[in-house]
Amino acid sequence: MNRIASCCIASFLLASLLAIGGTSRAALAAEVGEPRAQAEFLALATAATPQADLAAAADRLAAIPAAAVIPALDAFAAATPGGANWLRSGLDRAASRLGGELAPAALAAFVADPTRPPRGRVLAFSWLQERAPDAAATLLDGLLDDPALDLRREAVERLLESAASQPDAAARDIHRQALAAARDVDQVERIVGWLAEHGDKLDVADVLGFVRQWRVSDAFDNAGGAGFAMSYPPESALPSLPDTTAWTPVASTDRQGAIDLNAAIVKKKGVLAYALAEVEMPVAGPAEVRIGSPCAVSVWVNGLPVMSHEIYHASDTIDQYVAAAEFRSGVNSVLVKCCQNEQTQPWAEDWKFQLRITDALGKPLATQPRPEQKR
Amino acid sequence: MSRRQQTWSTTGIMTLMAVAGAAAAARADWLEFLGPRGSGVVPDAIRRTWSPTEGIAWKAELPGKGASSPIVVGDLVVVTASSGPRQDRLHIIAHDAATGERRWERIFWATGRTFCHPTSAVAAGTPASDGTRIVALFSSCDLFALDLDGRLLWQRNLAIEHPRAGNDVGMGTSPRIIDGTVVVQIDCQGDAFATGIDVATGADRWIVPRDKIASWSSPLPQPLPDGGAGVLLQNPNGLELRSVADGRLVWSWKGDCSGIPTTAAGDGRLYAPVDGIVAVKQSSVDPAWKQPKLSCGMASPVAFGDGLACINRAGVLVMADAADGGLRGQIRLAGSFWASPIVAGDVVVATGKEGKTFLVSTGADPAIVAENELPGTFTATPAVAGGSLYLRSESELWKIAAP
Repeated sequence: MNRIASCCIASFLLASLLAIGGTSRAALAAEVGEPRAQAEFLALATAATPQADLAAAADRLAAIPAAAVIPALDAFAAATPGGANWLRSGLDRAASRLGGELAPAALAAFVADPTRPPRGRVLAFSWLQERAPDAAATLLDGLLDDPALDLRREAVERLLESAASQPDAAARDIHRQALAAARDVDQVERIVGWLAEHGDKLDVADVLGFVRQWRVSDAFDNAGGAGFAMSYPPESALPSLPDTTAWTPVASTDRQGAIDLNAAIVKKKGVLAYALAEVEMPVAGPAEVRIGSPCAVSVWVNGLPVMSHEIYHASDTIDQYVAAAEFRSGVNSVLVKCCQNEQTQPWAEDWKFQLRITDALGKPLATQPRPEQKR
Repeated sequence: MSRRQQTWSTTGIMTLMAVAGAAAAARADWLEFLGPRGSGVVPDAIRRTWSPTEGIAWKAELPGKGASSPIVVGDLVVVTASSGPRQDRLHIIAHDAATGERRWERIFWATGRTFCHPTSAVAAGTPASDGTRIVALFSSCDLFALDLDGRLLWQRNLAIEHPRAGNDVGMGTSPRIIDGTVVVQIDCQGDAFATGIDVATGADRWIVPRDKIASWSSPLPQPLPDGGAGVLLQNPNGLELRSVADGRLVWSWKGDCSGIPTTAAGDGRLYAPVDGIVAVKQSSVDPAWKQPKLSCGMASPVAFGDGLACINRAGVLVMADAADGGLRGQIRLAGSFWASPIVAGDVVVATGKEGKTFLVSTGADPAIVAENELPGTFTATPAVAGGSLYLRSESELWKIAAP
């Protein structure tokens, strides 16, 4: 065979290989692209999207090949709350059908990438746990500071488990490391409890960042609940803040930072009061105002309304109501209106609130000067 | 496929589903909260004695917490649960009724609030089925409809549609499927409403505002005076009967009803929990009698044949004649009761929170005929199908074998 003929054959073979490769890539693109379109359609579901179309798209997503699953998980980035459920319903069925075809390594890589959507990563992690529990557990070691709360929590739990076999000093260090990462209130409480038992007493209210120093107004009438919608003097000139020189300074000593208005003002039903706090924020920008109260509450930041909930004695859980607000760098004001109703049951006596300001994951942001440092 | 063919095909499928649904409804299933038409009564005789090691057909671990009852749809036992640090993972699980094996599980994320009193759960409402579909409502006001293979047919995120709907004590109401309409009652201090939703499509048929007051009772199927399908809604201000077809108010009855137990019906009367029981004639909506000693705690009353039974807050089962409220007897059961009593054959089945299930005879002289205990915390009302009793604890589902 001469050189020209050899070159022709080689060129033909190369071209054939490229063609085959190109076809494979095209096929793969089609394979992945179509499921991705289904996933994005599901993710963007709203109340106006026909439910039958969504159910059909979820059926198609449930039938996708393994290679299309990871790209489809990225659709969670734009998912509406309802869309996330549609997307999950299709992908969970796909994962269940695919079983071992869904490679743990690909799942692990997706979970480990903090730039991928949190819900997709949480879902991928649950599949990884089913397929390769040891790999999933090991993966957690790198997720202590994760933006996905559920993964961060699992990572904190794994870290805490590692403390069990350590001597006290090392275990204490591990718990302090876990505390820095923990964002869930129950986890924080548990860690603080352990540290207290081991001689390291921390203030839970400080750790969770509750705003504890307030000035509290006298009581205003809230008979029949009418006061909730009334604009009493402390709020009538907002965004100009009320003059609080005659208000009572109150510093919470409660373990969870609650301001007890029964104790601060008067134990009375059918009344409301205002409380004003000044907080320091490290930088300007949005943050979450998180309030818990068994009473009806309204909140303003720097004189602007943030949230309002006319609900009485349903719960007083920490972070019961959460709303975003804009803060400026330095001193900001937070005004709370807390309304008590006229229910007579013993469990309806509480007239209180607890408030903190955090980032989106629950890390406290606001600080207050210590009393002796107050201006 | 042409448009006409498509239409015929859709119609055919819907007809088949309707026929299948009717057939399923004819089976001895337990399709909703308190079983057949919400009565809490079945003729099945159940096993008298059991223990963790005796008389158990199977036991299944559950993936999360719940106070919802299991339902039995053909060969499936369906139950709901919630899990996660924020209880925002909502589970709908189907078990094989014969073996207890998990057939499928679907997990969704809550889109509404998931705060809850420790005694309740985000999965507090019992799912309902028409024999071909399952609908499940969670405290987050998320409503899901699935087919029997666990395929999501539609979902309604009612707390997104009504942003102030919900109750941080936890919502406890169960959905009903009546005449092809899913009836949901969202009673709370915020956006309170009742709605009728097409079970086939998830689309609204009607929606009516409700008093802004919390309640945990469930809609109850009730015939309208003209024989049409109706639904009874209860809150602390009283009762109202509405048409299932369009939500039209047929009558209302003012009374200080309890916000937790659901009114029972039977023998031409409604038995409303109002400082005891007030019996209201269905024909005239007039009170027939009142019995203050028939006090309901958390559990709903159950009306059976000629009798009525309630369990009060002190754990005393009180039984009376349905005709006039005359007392038959009072029996102190041990423990506290969140699960409602039901009647299977000739016994009242009362499951206490601490795991004891009492069987009490329903005759003129009621007495405890058996007392059986399982480990765990039980707040879910039992279910009965084919003579088997299903008990759900916070973490497990038990099938007590038929006798």
